[in-house]
Amino acid sequence: MSDNRQPKTAATGASLQSVDTRKQLSAWAANHQLVAVETLIRLLANPLGSLLTWMVIAIALTLPGALWMALDNMEQLSGRFQESGRITLYLLPGTEVEQAQQLERRIQTLDSVSSTELIDADMALDDFRANSGLQAALEFLPENPLPSVILVEPPLGVSQQQLSVLVGKLQNYQLVDSVQLDMAWVERLLAMLALAERLIWVLGLLLALAILLVVGNTIRLAIAARVDEIRVVKLVGGTNAWVRRPFLYTGLWYGMVGGLLAWLMLIICWLLLNGPVSNLADLYGSGFELKPLSATAALSLLLSAMLLGWLGAWWSVSRHLDQIEP
Amino acid sequence: MSTGNPMVRFDRVSKRYPGGKEALSGVSFELDRGEFAFLTGHSGAGKSTLLKLMMQMEHPSRGQVFVDGLNLGKLRAGQVPYLRRKIGVVFQNHQLLFDRSVYDNIALPLQIAGYTPAEAGRRVRAALDSVGLLGMEKRNPIELSGGEQQRVGIARAVVNKPPLLLADEPTGNLDPELSAEIMNLFMRFQQVGVTVLIATHDIALVERLGHRRLILDHGQLHEDALIAGGQYV
Ligand SMILES: Nc1ncnc2c1ncn2[C@@H]1O[C@H](COP(=O)(O)OP(=O)(O)OP(=O)(O)O)[C@@H](O)[C@H]1O
Ligand SMILES: [Mg+2]
Repeated sequence: MSDNRQPKTAATGASLQSVDTRKQLSAWAANHQLVAVETLIRLLANPLGSLLTWMVIAIALTLPGALWMALDNMEQLSGRFQESGRITLYLLPGTEVEQAQQLERRIQTLDSVSSTELIDADMALDDFRANSGLQAALEFLPENPLPSVILVEPPLGVSQQQLSVLVGKLQNYQLVDSVQLDMAWVERLLAMLALAERLIWVLGLLLALAILLVVGNTIRLAIAARVDEIRVVKLVGGTNAWVRRPFLYTGLWYGMVGGLLAWLMLIICWLLLNGPVSNLADLYGSGFELKPLSATAALSLLLSAMLLGWLGAWWSVSRHLDQIEP
Repeated sequence: MSTGNPMVRFDRVSKRYPGGKEALSGVSFELDRGEFAFLTGHSGAGKSTLLKLMMQMEHPSRGQVFVDGLNLGKLRAGQVPYLRRKIGVVFQNHQLLFDRSVYDNIALPLQIAGYTPAEAGRRVRAALDSVGLLGMEKRNPIELSGGEQQRVGIARAVVNKPPLLLADEPTGNLDPELSAEIMNLFMRFQQVGVTVLIATHDIALVERLGHRRLILDHGQLHEDALIAGGQYV
């Protein structure tokens, strides 16, 4: 209840806070709520005025979002290819068959090896004779030029890391001349995907900067339109936090609406591409399906949009608000 | 005369605007709690400057200003809003906001100070009553006459019951009758204990009302000791 205090005519000392702290805290929370709702209503009441800002934010988010979605799917795809990895070991020339068989048995005991096959030099030469048609020419060779080969099949679903550990081990055997990973192209693909991911990050950072600038500029205009109000508020004892608050919430809402629009656009992208992609996959006999943006990814998209809107507003407010004095 | 804890104290205050001449030179005076005084002087004498120094809208080049025991020179930037909540100000260009109702204009200082809507409502109506505008709270200030707008400005200045009330030419372009009415209003606030300082050109009115007078002349303060009430001799 109010006590309708009379103006303090007695000595009051140097205390500046007049309303007690608990009241002030709940008033503070109530004001946050009020400002949040008011600024949202203000934005939604004039959608045409904010549309441009919303669309810029949405597009700036959709672009990296779509690329990220594509990348995510490519990684899924490359994961499937990995299942067909196979390693070819070329042994040193002159390796005896017994030595090669011994090595094969040792390899079979290793982790990440599901099966092996030894093709010794003589067998290889027989094959070659039978298939190449160079039989006559081979008769002139003093000795067999072909190396013995061990084919190593890793189990399905082995990880890229396990695979490179295995290759490292195989390379260290003395009898081994060289190791060839049939996966090399998958590795290259993965490297390219990593590069693409890096590029998306860079692009994302640039577009985040663009969002900051766009929201900052929009807020600057909003501040300019409310200079009189800000002067009066400061004159009657409004703190900087109070003055800032509506603009920060406005930035937050800009980010939120922009983020929601971006989400919508990504869903539309997915709907447009999903049909053609699964048709294509069917033609190749693959069960591949385009994954939509995961809920976590969508949520972090939305949250980062809100954060960016808030930061843009903060940047603008801290640049312009202090200059407005009554 | 002095209680030792005046509401306002100026101690050899000078103010020089950047690139300008001295607007105030070596001004010293005290305003006791609950005192009522006029601030007069020619145009450009430094009246507005003196009021702005109390509001921390300007800062002295030399000397010290105390308001309610606070040394304004030692105030941190974050404390300035709390200083301003102790001071009600009325300007000639009443500085009302035309995008909201009379009620919302007057309630603004209360919202800022963290009053609940119910409490604020009571105080706004009390303030409107004291300036004779009860029933106008839903109007937009732009629909009101100059005198009515001025009174809305006064209601906003006193709604938070500040211990100090400053007015800069509050009767600037009002007719004599309305001016007298508004001065009466200020004197009623003094009667409930508010310290009041009014800058004005209206010498005739000042002489008729007979209160303490601070006279500024080219930035120098001459206190007028000859007051009709005879309190300050
Ligand atoms: N912001 C400013 N920058 C520079 N000089 C200023 C500024 N404000 C006021 N002055 C100068 O300071 C002096 C005092 O100005 P001030 O506004 O205090 O006078 P005043 O007594 O209020 O005059 P009036 O009765 O016309 O309102 C004047 O010479 C004025 O030109
Ligand atoms: Mg003036």
